Amino acid sequence: MTDDIITIEIDGRTLQARKGQTVIQVADEAGIHIPRFCYHKKLSVAANCRMCLVEMEKAPKPVAACATPVMAGMKIKTRSEQAREAQKGVMEFLLINHPLDCPICDQGGECELQDLALGYGKDVSRFTEAKRVVFDEDIGPLVSTDMTRCIHCTRCVRFGEEIAGLRELGATGRGENMRIGTYVKKAMASELSGNVIDVCPVGALNNKPYRFSARTWELSQHAVISPHDCVGSNFYLHTLRGKVQRAVPRENEAINETWLADRDRFSCHGIYSEQRIAQPQLKERGKWRKVSWDEAIEVTVERLQSVIASRGSETIGALISPSATLEEHYLFQCLLRGIGSSNIDHRLQQCDFSHDETMPVAPWLGMDLNAVENLQAVLIVGGNPRKDQPLLGHRLRKAALRGAAIMYVNHRAYDLNHLAEQYLAATCDDLVIQLAAIAKALMQKTNRAVPDALQGLLEQVEVDEQQKTIAENLHKADRALVLIGSQASLSPLYSYIVALSHCIASLASVSFGTIHIGANATGACLAGALPHRKVAGTADEQPGLSAHKMLQSARRAYLLFNVEPELEAWDTATAHRAMHEAEAIIAISNFASPTMREYADILLPLASFAETDGTYINAEGRWQSFTAAAKIQDDAQPGWKILRLLADRLNVSDLAFNSAAAISKVLREQCRNVVLNNTVANIKLPQHDFSAHNRRLQRIADIPIYSTDAVVRRSLPLQQTIDGMEADKASIHPQTAAEYKLETSEYVSVTQNGNTIEFSLQLNEAIPEGCIWIGLGVPGTEALGPAFGDIEVSAS
Amino acid sequence: MKRRLISWLKSFFFWELFQGLRVTGRYFFARKFTIRFPEERTPKSPRYRGLHALRRYPNGEERCIACKLCEAVCPALAITIDSEEREDGTRRTTRYDIDLFKCVYCGFCEEACPVDAVVLTRFHDFHFEERGQQVIRKLDLLKLGDRFEEEIATDRQTESKYR
Repeated sequence: MTDDIITIEIDGRTLQARKGQTVIQVADEAGIHIPRFCYHKKLSVAANCRMCLVEMEKAPKPVAACATPVMAGMKIKTRSEQAREAQKGVMEFLLINHPLDCPICDQGGECELQDLALGYGKDVSRFTEAKRVVFDEDIGPLVSTDMTRCIHCTRCVRFGEEIAGLRELGATGRGENMRIGTYVKKAMASELSGNVIDVCPVGALNNKPYRFSARTWELSQHAVISPHDCVGSNFYLHTLRGKVQRAVPRENEAINETWLADRDRFSCHGIYSEQRIAQPQLKERGKWRKVSWDEAIEVTVERLQSVIASRGSETIGALISPSATLEEHYLFQCLLRGIGSSNIDHRLQQCDFSHDETMPVAPWLGMDLNAVENLQAVLIVGGNPRKDQPLLGHRLRKAALRGAAIMYVNHRAYDLNHLAEQYLAATCDDLVIQLAAIAKALMQKTNRAVPDALQGLLEQVEVDEQQKTIAENLHKADRALVLIGSQASLSPLYSYIVALSHCIASLASVSFGTIHIGANATGACLAGALPHRKVAGTADEQPGLSAHKMLQSARRAYLLFNVEPELEAWDTATAHRAMHEAEAIIAISNFASPTMREYADILLPLASFAETDGTYINAEGRWQSFTAAAKIQDDAQPGWKILRLLADRLNVSDLAFNSAAAISKVLREQCRNVVLNNTVANIKLPQHDFSAHNRRLQRIADIPIYSTDAVVRRSLPLQQTIDGMEADKASIHPQTAAEYKLETSEYVSVTQNGNTIEFSLQLNEAIPEGCIWIGLGVPGTEALGPAFGDIEVSAS
Repeated sequence: MKRRLISWLKSFFFWELFQGLRVTGRYFFARKFTIRFPEERTPKSPRYRGLHALRRYPNGEERCIACKLCEAVCPALAITIDSEEREDGTRRTTRYDIDLFKCVYCGFCEEACPVDAVVLTRFHDFHFEERGQQVIRKLDLLKLGDRFEEEIATDRQTESKYR
């Protein structure tokens, strides 16, 4: 490797460089700043802005530092007379058509052009001709455009091609007439589209929801962790006088590189929704009354104690959001176990819990995030990381671009931004059978044994060419991963999916990963927010009921921690009914929807993710703590304080913590010996007849990208995107639509569990025949039943 | 002995008193410096830095574009601005407060303003009757601007060649 190191000289400093590096990369590493606009370290080199011109000894004219590879003995001067003159000349050309509107430009203060114009621009323009004016395009609710300001660096175009994988923006025309825009007038649909705001060096592409609400220099910056998916992206929240204004990515090469998903970037606009609870409230004879915290806590304790006294503590159910912080999960389960109930769960969207006993301590990705991009084969079961965990999707795309075979087994086809094979399974049985066939193909190939529990199933299935290809791909790859996506847990046969995926991974001797819904599912499991496990995976001697069971066999009282069971539960109708029938519903929540106001009895305002201290554990098992970024709205309190207070009044001992950091310290100590491991041993599988064929129309579901949690659902800009608008439509295959005489109808009446709801209908060939897709977590679906199951449709 | 005698005579005949009265007498008949303040006013420089005002364009549109440069440059942190996008797509202030107790009348805000919106007028004799009134709001600032517009405009005109 030493042959690859060469020595060059920049500004008189002797520097070591690797062959193939460009001058600007070496200079950046050495901290020598060369001005640039089009060069971005994560994008390909375009060399079209010419701002990075530097003097190279023995070269007749200045060279572009971003496009010049280093050569041994090269001598570069970045500040010589010639270099400065060239840079100043380029700047003068750039400023010819750039408007002088910095005072009304949102980029003002963080603008690369503004900064460099100070160093390289002239005081007075020599240009007296008419300036160019470009009309703006509406490219969606997230990115605002002021195309007159564009300097044609094409970073956004390259971002679209190389990172987002969608050619949404492009350049048309040449020279003076060059325009950046969407070819056909349309909105950007990428889940990473917000990153063009960061890559744009000028104010041409800007943050639309944040537009004109603050100036960059008056914002204070706070580092936080993504509360929406298990990637745990690092980002900054920018606040003005304690109020969140916007989010920008924080570079972390191991997690999110320099990118940020739109969901993380724009969810902060949901924090100050009108439905935010301002003050503790009690329902008295159907009327809500605002009360003090003291009174609210007192009444909460009274209610809980009276339920315990009259019906026993096991009639209390507790549901917590998988995106709550680690500290909240820990205190929540301590509180509940302290009053004698183990009915605690964070897995609202799951319905098959039969393998609970044998499940690993906590789900995890099975590898580091940045190892994903070096994989050679990936089999994803039940999930679409592109939309579910956008930055994991980005890593997968990188792997795909390097030639990895990416394979999906899902209930519907997804719009992907990379090459992949998608295998569709119309029913849950079908999906399991497909997995079994893959396992069988591998078993035949490797002659290894499979667990006893699966032998019967494997005997029943037949292997076809498709499954052989998947098996072959996994088998021949040195680095491969079988990944259970976050949507798989919606399946009523989840335990089979886990058992088979694990079996496939071990037969092919590849890594096995599981990812769950929410930002902190791994943390929730470690903290013991499970009915059958306490902290660090120790078994609970008296296991409680799982989320689905505690909603099915209605409890007397429910404690809800930032969840909306009527939207988030696997069986929304049952959850809705359970909420209505309960004696007492205590909701510790950011928001109260009108539905929640109907069934809840006590509302305790919870500080949002931006207003609390906490820790998240991401899919790779990384503990990331953060502190509150914004001032707490109104009378809300951080979750750990509320839970601590409740624990105190309910005489649950040992929870007298004074800070979130103290809680995570205790937890870290208790989890010291936990090694994340996805191995599933002696899995218990429920009896299921795979030979029965259901010919009725089936509902299939997944959680759309902008319906994952309460904040996202209330972020208006996200809901106005294409993904947000399509979430509440029912999708059906044209063939099936014809079968049910729906091909011409715009709306459809859907009946499940005796409840009928009207949806706008979309014909979509991505949905397998014999199914109708209706998203989970989408407002308006409260009365519908299970995510998977029989369903009836009729034109309306 | 002689000095003592002179000193005794001086104090006996109130010599120092007459000396003093001579000054009094001189100024008694000299031209007066004082003016009857509210009725009479001293002339003021066009650069005088008195109470603030927000100006409008001749068509009635407020000049301020909420760029917040005045807020940023203010050494006393006397200015507070909130902004939003108005219906016509331009950025406007929803709040423009100047705390006159904090203000040091340095005039940096006027220097910083790219659209000559915030200015310091020649008006300086203002008062408050209750606490809270020292924070002067956007609408009042605009009213002041309307009231003094003619004077502000001519002052800026005469000063333009020195800027």
